[in-house]
Amino acid sequence: MMVILIGATAALAATSAPNGLIGRPAPDFVLPAVAGSNVRLSEFRGQPVMISFWSSRCSVCAAQLTAMDRYYGTYRSAGLIVLGVSVEDDPQRAIDYAQAHAASFPLLLDKAKSVGRAFGIERLPTTVLIDRSGQVRFLHSDDRPGDPSYVAQIRALLDDRPERSDR
Amino acid sequence: MNMNSTLRSLLRALWPLLLAAQAVSVSAAPPADADPAPAPATAPPPANAATGMASSPSNDAAAGTRALDEQIQGLKKDVVDLNKDLFVLEEELLFPANTQVAVFVSVDVGDFFALDSVTLKIDNHDVSNYLYTPREVSALLKGGVQRLYVGNLKAGQHELVALFNGKGPHDRDYRRAANIRFEKGVGAKYLELKITDHQRAQQPEFEIKDWE
Repeated sequence: MMVILIGATAALAATSAPNGLIGRPAPDFVLPAVAGSNVRLSEFRGQPVMISFWSSRCSVCAAQLTAMDRYYGTYRSAGLIVLGVSVEDDPQRAIDYAQAHAASFPLLLDKAKSVGRAFGIERLPTTVLIDRSGQVRFLHSDDRPGDPSYVAQIRALLDDRPERSDR
Repeated sequence: MNMNSTLRSLLRALWPLLLAAQAVSVSAAPPADADPAPAPATAPPPANAATGMASSPSNDAAAGTRALDEQIQGLKKDVVDLNKDLFVLEEELLFPANTQVAVFVSVDVGDFFALDSVTLKIDNHDVSNYLYTPREVSALLKGGVQRLYVGNLKAGQHELVALFNGKGPHDRDYRRAANIRFEKGVGAKYLELKITDHQRAQQPEFEIKDWE
């Protein structure tokens, strides 16, 4: 009974807290990339953006980054932008991890964790999908990298179709 | 700082009121085609009467749509003007001329230095740490001038230190600092961080210019 109660509380915390961002403009940020130049979110206005917050300490983040890489490979030609934001304490660990999991999309370093705070990140990995107008449309704070709903939501953003999230 | 946040919140609170007032004034204004002045007795007949054609509903609808479009455009222009006025008002309230200090960044040529970030310290306090994207650097290289910082300082002697990070000659990491001691007087103070190329030394130059 206690386990169910704790599980239900955790699930509620995971789904209710980040929902405050859905339907609101995504907080703008500029972050240095592991390789390459700095990246500012607002410069991608007009294109759907998928951001994944990750850390090398998170066990499922590698699978999440692999899935993101797959989505990026499939939909980049359609205009999808994918960004990985590391909320690592030690930036060198993030750089080593990023080099080991060579991703084709930009991996950014949020050393001060200010971006993580602005997006209200409480769990890792958390994935945020932003539409062409810069509004947060979907937010996943679970560990289901292969979830087919990602593809449906990416396609919805690319088609610019309004689709309500139940999460 | 408290005063600043109060002013900001006041402006934010005023904004919807001003918009609402604008909307009310537009809706209260008589439509352009509802002229209350009576037509003179010798007024010429309408064009469609002269041609003997009755006005079709589609023409009326098109005219109505056009009038509505013009009204919307007018409203948009008013909102933009209002936004501009509010911005100027906010600037004047938050940064009065007698305490205002503004720091600008410009880049000339840029063959020997690719700007990545600038950290600004005034009187040994970090006031700005700005990361540049390639698009922003490109805009600076095209002659753009960026206002990096605007704040308030009391009159007297102050020191500004600017730390420039980027890629120098031969794509090496390059970190340089420039500083200036300046006197803040009664009026607004404008300082410019200029990044130029020193062709003979094949090195970038960092200069802080005090606009009197």
